[in-house]
Amino acid sequence: MRPYQVATAAAFAVLAAVAMFDSRAGALVDRTGTQPGGIGAGFYPFWSASLVFLCACFVGFRAWVTPTPGTAAFQDREAVFAALKLIVPMIIATTAILWLGFYLVTALYMGLFARSIGHYRWLWVAAIMLAMPLGIYATFELGFRVGLPKSFLYDAGVLPF
Amino acid sequence: MEIFNVFGDLAGGFGTALQPFNILMLLIGITLGLIVGVLPGLGGTSAVAILLPITVIIARTSPTSAVILLAGVYWGALFGGVVTSILFNIPGEPWSVVLLFDGFPLAKKKGKPGVALASSFFASFVGAFFATVLFTFFARALADFALSFGPPELFAVFVMSFATLIGLGAESPAKAVMMIGFGLLLAAIGFDTITGQPRLTFGQIGLLSGIGFVPVTIGLFGIGEIIASAEEQGIGYMEKLSARVGFADILETIRELRKRIWLVIITAIIGFWFGTLPGHGATAGSFLGYGLARQYSKNKENFGKGEISGIMAPQAAADAAAVGSLVPMIALGVPGSPTSAVIMAGLFIWGLTPGPLLFVEHHDFVWGLIASIYVGHLLTFLICLAAVPLLASIMRIPYAILTPFIILISIIGSYSLNNSMLDVFVTIVFGLIGYWLRKTKYPLAPLVVAVVLGDSTERTFRQSLIASGGSPTIFFGTPLSAALLTLAIVLLLVPVVRAVRGRGRRGAGDVDNETVATAID
Repeated sequence: MRPYQVATAAAFAVLAAVAMFDSRAGALVDRTGTQPGGIGAGFYPFWSASLVFLCACFVGFRAWVTPTPGTAAFQDREAVFAALKLIVPMIIATTAILWLGFYLVTALYMGLFARSIGHYRWLWVAAIMLAMPLGIYATFELGFRVGLPKSFLYDAGVLPF
Repeated sequence: MEIFNVFGDLAGGFGTALQPFNILMLLIGITLGLIVGVLPGLGGTSAVAILLPITVIIARTSPTSAVILLAGVYWGALFGGVVTSILFNIPGEPWSVVLLFDGFPLAKKKGKPGVALASSFFASFVGAFFATVLFTFFARALADFALSFGPPELFAVFVMSFATLIGLGAESPAKAVMMIGFGLLLAAIGFDTITGQPRLTFGQIGLLSGIGFVPVTIGLFGIGEIIASAEEQGIGYMEKLSARVGFADILETIRELRKRIWLVIITAIIGFWFGTLPGHGATAGSFLGYGLARQYSKNKENFGKGEISGIMAPQAAADAAAVGSLVPMIALGVPGSPTSAVIMAGLFIWGLTPGPLLFVEHHDFVWGLIASIYVGHLLTFLICLAAVPLLASIMRIPYAILTPFIILISIIGSYSLNNSMLDVFVTIVFGLIGYWLRKTKYPLAPLVVAVVLGDSTERTFRQSLIASGGSPTIFFGTPLSAALLTLAIVLLLVPVVRAVRGRGRRGAGDVDNETVATAID
């Protein structure tokens, strides 16, 4: 686990350093009387970021110097692939919502899982691809009146979503 | 006379909680909670987070119905996690991990799955009942006391809640501090509410309104948990026992409960008290209950082999802690557990301000919630006794359907709050962050509590300084804030003392490097 711990702590340290740099103007107590209570907008984020930075350095250093044999972040390659099988389609689907809208993405996303993970027959896959967006449309769009992102086909007047 | 007022308020609360629509909300919440409790890939906190945006619609009619729905999920998940621990040897929820020690052995080795399940359901119910009685009488008194708090006292309460997260129970205090700092940073993004200046936006207009805690929470808990669960699919052998709770099981359990009634009541009271400490909730409560039961048992050697006390004590403590975790949320505006932090986020979204004024300004809301805890636990208990085979069958929903469905519901949840795709991307990003933080053993509870309390903490801090003309001595100006801040400092020193003691032992050759690192980190 050591490299992962060090890398994670380093990422937090960098993030905190960026936040400290961004809010450095208000880092110190204002003695001129221009800021209410002597505290500017940057005071709180600067010191919160400093806290993160110091702790990240400490955690990273401890992880670096402490031997922890046999504690890998992932059990094996299969575990990595199992996570990636979920993460990659999720990111693609979320991005695709901007163009395809929520309902078409739902159909494709559910279909992908049903076919590639569930190994269902095409007939079942088609049924899931149809039923799921319609069910969500009926529940949220018609029932709860929650308008979800629509596709280009909606803009063209072809589909109701 | 005060006690009669409480009974009168509680009667009014029952009038609200027993309205048909609220009973329906409770039943929906409990059912959803039982389902997510049974499913190892999704927790009660995640379910509450995912449902938050939907409750906005319900809250337009009645915030009480909305909070009853969310609380129902919490109670359902508390009971539901038990089923998989006892029948499948897989904890459905973090707080049911402890049931693996004695629940599964009693079900499998001793061949009594019905008794194991009934023991846990009965203990949950009794524990929750006693905790709710304490809630009924304790919360109002605490809220009345808290009404006299000014900004310095409130700031001290927030600092104290952060210190509790670090000083007590955190496996790695340095990581807990880091997560609190990160949460405070996230809460600071956007316009500064006092000066109106943009902060940490890096020129992005979308960030001016800040990062909402709901998308962050849905990501950390909903998406993060589901990815972690996906990674673990297929790893390890899954035991499966089938069971139903028969009349004979119930009779045997009642006999066993009578022998242990004081253990259950005492662990429930301790669990309740533990739950009121910010940041703990049911998981820590369950382990505390188990530890106490084992410590004071005459049959220590039976623990781990199917001892009923090893089921009843942690379950009573877990449920009592869950009820207790709502007390500081309602009375002080400080969440007692990650789940109550998410419920508290709901209160903000519905336009309510958690804290002592709730008892004054939203009297019906508070007492409706309290009464619904009694009703909710009774309903959950009865549903569980009757529907164990049905609950066990939930485990058979195919992964290929369930997982993408949960992700889609999470996306709907985060989008529908502001009709913003930015919130959806925030959810996905924090899902990945939450997954990675889990893998690298960073605690998520301090992060969520800090994101939710970040604004209030900064506001009270700056209000105090404005009131004192910039003098920090105001934080020690009243006995209460001075006492709370001193206690917070003491709590923050606990890990340091532990580390120093750990080093001392290492010097004596008792402890290896890894243990010391854990103690310090």
